[in-house]
Amino acid sequence: MVNDEGQLYTIEGVAAGMIMLFTTYLVLGATSVYTPGDTHISDMQLEQIGTDALVMMNTPVNGTVKSNLTEIVETSRINATAADETFNTTFLKYVNERTGSESDNLHYMADVTYRSDLTDNSITSYQLACTHNRIMNAGDHPVRVTEWVIADKQFPGSVNHPRAVLVEVLLWRD
Amino acid sequence: MTDDAGNLSLDFLAGFTIFMVALIYVATLIPGLLIGLESKSIDYDAVAYRTGVILAEDPGMPYNPAWETYSDADKDKALRFGLALSKSTPNVLSAEKINRFFNTTTYNYPDDYHSRAVFGDYPYQFNISLKIDGGENYTLGDTLPDGYGYSRRLVKIKKESTASIDGSQIASYPEFWSHEPNAGNKTAGDPGPTNHSFSVYFNYTGLTTEGPLYNNPAYQIEPIAPLYEGATINLTNLNQTTRYGSGDTIIGDPNINITLTGITITQSVLSPYLHTRSSFATVPVTLDDHLYNVYIDGNATPLNSSASHSVINNVSLVIPHGSVTSGLNFLGGNDPSTYLNVTLLFTLDHGDCFLNSSQATAKDESGAFEYNYTSPFITQPSLKDGVLEVAVW
Amino acid sequence: MARLNEDAQWIVLMGFVVSFSFFFLAMILNQSTVVGQTTAESVVEFPKNDIRDVRNIIINSSYITDNNKFAVIQQDITTLSLSRKGAVVSYSVTHPTGLDTYTHITIHYNNGVTEYNENWTSS
Repeated sequence: MVNDEGQLYTIEGVAAGMIMLFTTYLVLGATSVYTPGDTHISDMQLEQIGTDALVMMNTPVNGTVKSNLTEIVETSRINATAADETFNTTFLKYVNERTGSESDNLHYMADVTYRSDLTDNSITSYQLACTHNRIMNAGDHPVRVTEWVIADKQFPGSVNHPRAVLVEVLLWRD
Repeated sequence: MTDDAGNLSLDFLAGFTIFMVALIYVATLIPGLLIGLESKSIDYDAVAYRTGVILAEDPGMPYNPAWETYSDADKDKALRFGLALSKSTPNVLSAEKINRFFNTTTYNYPDDYHSRAVFGDYPYQFNISLKIDGGENYTLGDTLPDGYGYSRRLVKIKKESTASIDGSQIASYPEFWSHEPNAGNKTAGDPGPTNHSFSVYFNYTGLTTEGPLYNNPAYQIEPIAPLYEGATINLTNLNQTTRYGSGDTIIGDPNINITLTGITITQSVLSPYLHTRSSFATVPVTLDDHLYNVYIDGNATPLNSSASHSVINNVSLVIPHGSVTSGLNFLGGNDPSTYLNVTLLFTLDHGDCFLNSSQATAKDESGAFEYNYTSPFITQPSLKDGVLEVAVW
Repeated sequence: MARLNEDAQWIVLMGFVVSFSFFFLAMILNQSTVVGQTTAESVVEFPKNDIRDVRNIIINSSYITDNNKFAVIQQDITTLSLSRKGAVVSYSVTHPTGLDTYTHITIHYNNGVTEYNENWTSS
């Protein structure tokens, strides 16, 4: 019947089995380690580039003129197409330019958000510009960057100007 | 007889359970051990971002006196590199700092840059490049490998102010004729004197307090510490500056011979140096290339002798950036209440009315063109676009 | 009473010490993989550009001397900041008077995680 002979062989067998299983687990585990939050680094870089581009557009070239972005927002109240063209050319140039010869491949969608009713503080936005022939689809992972602008033009809902508005840009890499 | 009941004692079970839980937990950590062997590469993007911020948004240390003004012998006094104009103007870079930073004959790659811009215990390799729109490209470091950490910043570079005074423009000052003594008889087309002085003057107090946009350093003309910016003064079309013809027409005289006989630079802290026609004397041109450079008629090399020089058309006077060592005290960069007067002395072979600026209407009738923010002859400081890339591996 | 068997005490003790040190090192090295991720996270989370931007627009808006227009812009900034940026921004401007020739602005910004207060004086 049952006795305690062969215990050593049993333990040896169990240990060998465990070692084999353990090794298999190690090998499989090392190939598929998930580093959480991997997208944070590329998001941070994208956000930095987008903010820099908007800041560059909002810096006047000398002490006496308005910045490019201010003029674009003001033009967008009168001639939306011209503003779209100017913003598109300028922003894409800033955001895709590199020191080498090849450029980057970023796309964007830009809106202007303003306060449309002075009494109840409701907010409205309209589209300022977007990359031509490239609408954002579900697979793109955009970041959002913003820039404040004081535009000396009348906005719907008030007779006052100048007004402070927010230019919001969604930026993604192809 | 052996007992085949197979019970395990309670204390054995407790110990064994704790042991198995601990073993399983350690086992799950082991895959992290294996990939952890390359963990320094996780760092590259973070180090590149940090270096990009240090270069683009920080003016460096020491800020005053500026690290880029130290000579090569004192180069180690620069504790940290930074290219921004000042703390309050991030992403606006100074051309002087850029030139000094990318000067690899002074600073050694990689050690000097590692301890002043990249930092960290690991000896990273890096490549920093700057491209300026319509200007030069600067690069520093090794060629890029296949994988590296990367940071790109968009910047603006400050282009300093210049004064361009066309000789015939002086004549367009409406009050000029009435203030010019010995101007001759305008209606008779009478010529003026043959010895002329042309003065430009800097009021440092005005320059530092009347700048646009609340004295934003990006748009300011700032000859004092720590920026010590220089100035460029171009006089053009000197042979167009001649007398009135009949009526009010200005007639040019291409046969006029103009000789540059002297340059004086005078610094005062008490009051503006008022230059009048009676107080100048013919002084030989003394040249010290630490203080200023004079270029005649578009020559690329500055004057280097003290004799008089004949001028056909153009004179350019360039006061370069001040430095901690030479030239600084003379140009008064340490004292924000300095007045600086730069006078060029010309002798003509026959009379001329309009080159002489000694009685030109200036803001405070000081007898010189003031180098300020409102003069129509001065191109104010402006900003050029640029891209700064940092790669670390 | 039988004497306890004290053989192999040292071996067992050393075994424990070694295994604990392995455990500790494995823990540390395992956590090192998240270093890069946390740096990027904290950079994204800190509103450096937002604060700079809102500070710039507040200083620019202080140029407007008409009180009605200034009030409209102030309300614009406060409302848009709260609804689109998720940050409470409040500020007040003191224009130069006869005695004090400087402009003073007090800025308060709070996005729930980071708070920023500044007393700005024109130079």
